[in-house]
Amino acid sequence: MSEQVRNRLMLAVALVLAAIYLFPLYWMYITALKTGSAMFATPPKFWPSEPQWSIYADVWQSRNMGRYLWNSLVIAFGAVALISVLGVGCAYVLARYRNVWVDIGLFLILMLQVLPASLMITPIFVGFSQFGLLETPRFAVILAIAAKSMPFFVVLVRATFMSVPMELEEAALVDGNSRIGAFFNIVLPLARNGILVSAILIFMQAFGEFVYSKSMIQAVELQPASVGLNSFMGPNTNEWNNIMAYATIYVTPILAAFILLQRRIVSGLTSGALK
Amino acid sequence: MKRILSSVTDGKGFDVGLVVLPLAFLFVMSGLPLVYNVVMSFQEVDMFSLGSFARPFVGFRNYVDLFSQPETRPILFNTALFVVASIAGQFAIGFGLALFFWTNFPGASWLRGLFLVSWVMPGLVVGAIWNWILSGDFGVLNFLLRETGVIDGNIFWRSDPNYSLWAVIIANIWLGTSFNMILLSVGLSGIPKDLYEAAELDGANAPQRFWTITLPMMRSTIGAIIALGLIFTLQQFDLFAAITSGGPNNTSNVTQYWAWDLSFRQYDFAKGATISVIMIVFVMFASVVYVRSTRHEVRG
Repeated sequence: MSEQVRNRLMLAVALVLAAIYLFPLYWMYITALKTGSAMFATPPKFWPSEPQWSIYADVWQSRNMGRYLWNSLVIAFGAVALISVLGVGCAYVLARYRNVWVDIGLFLILMLQVLPASLMITPIFVGFSQFGLLETPRFAVILAIAAKSMPFFVVLVRATFMSVPMELEEAALVDGNSRIGAFFNIVLPLARNGILVSAILIFMQAFGEFVYSKSMIQAVELQPASVGLNSFMGPNTNEWNNIMAYATIYVTPILAAFILLQRRIVSGLTSGALK
Repeated sequence: MKRILSSVTDGKGFDVGLVVLPLAFLFVMSGLPLVYNVVMSFQEVDMFSLGSFARPFVGFRNYVDLFSQPETRPILFNTALFVVASIAGQFAIGFGLALFFWTNFPGASWLRGLFLVSWVMPGLVVGAIWNWILSGDFGVLNFLLRETGVIDGNIFWRSDPNYSLWAVIIANIWLGTSFNMILLSVGLSGIPKDLYEAAELDGANAPQRFWTITLPMMRSTIGAIIALGLIFTLQQFDLFAAITSGGPNNTSNVTQYWAWDLSFRQYDFAKGATISVIMIVFVMFASVVYVRSTRHEVRG
């Protein structure tokens, strides 16, 4: 009985803590629904009295969000595709062997993982412009994101491959499979979940990427939603309900995906960062 | 030819092929820019010479110029303050939450995971939300602080030179706390329970158990998390772009934003490259600490 009371009490405290921590998110959703005057009311209302549901359609139209989100999707899918194609094989080899070369490769990959994008953008921008890559700015951004995020992906997926028993692959080889056959028929299906979770994490990162897109994409028609949000927020803006509606439309799909896949994402993330 | 082909489909060549292509990609897309960055920091780069490779070398002049600029010292100081305050806040709150959720009641792990939404959101959205929360006249944070009697008048977080950096630090602490908490939880769950049972039998009270078991057992995890925190705070750019843009008058500017600002706002690519080189060396150092503190796990 006392155990149960303690559990209830702890759960209640935990809910309060979560509510405090997630308040900024709540404030975003609430502000979006407020009218222009309710937004600046003192004291502020913590529950909108007359919610403006039409604001989403208005902002979607006036800010041309369809185009921005489409560009974000193109960039995110492109980066994930490129990273997956290149990164899965790399992670597999780094997981399968254990020698000095693998250690050196892993060390280099971990070092590349930490380079801040805002510092790397200067040489990348100058180099890309010299090789004409900025003619196709979204592709240039995809390349830059892939280089930035692939090390993280490799570290995560390598942890997945480590958990696939090597005996299964050896058995497939004894049964007459080639290395390619064993890789595609045995190892890859067994590691599928881990790869998928890692790809989703990379997708979320690329979907919100800002520095590279802001610096390399000059044409408004090709800019992703993060840059669109940035240009929406002028220095003296007072359209906060519209900005929060924009943010809501932008972030809700990501939050929904995260909550659905929460357990897998959290365990995938922790296995990569500390192992 | 046939030997090579069969090696690629069925031998060592298969592994080599899988690993060489991505490494070559990383070399071209990350390694070469790193080198190019160093080269540019020794060159004179302006809008006219941007397209050509043959730019005049100027030796250490960019470095000398950079350190003779009046804003350099405050910005370096801001960076140090930003890093220390962010890591301290994220770690302290994260550790407190991790210890709380460690008590393991039903729903603990799900609720704990929920905190991570702050970390998966686009940085610019986080910045936009905090920009609005921290607003001077109508910000909800000022309202809450006034109601609880912490402050008398409104604090103009974004435009007051005394507070502008703290505006970004607050947002960054919120952003990073959940990640710290999750990693610390992993570390906590790795401590064998029988240690605590033994200590309890020996009559150690809760603070004693914390200082003599929890902290020593967590040492490598804490080292890794502090190093990771350093790496992540030095990567933080979006919040600056969304909240203060480094202003007013550079009071909230930090090196990683300044490097971008020099290159893409003032078109001084050489200076941007110079400050990048300095910071990248620093980040590399931090990552060596990080890799060393997780090395046994990397190998194992």
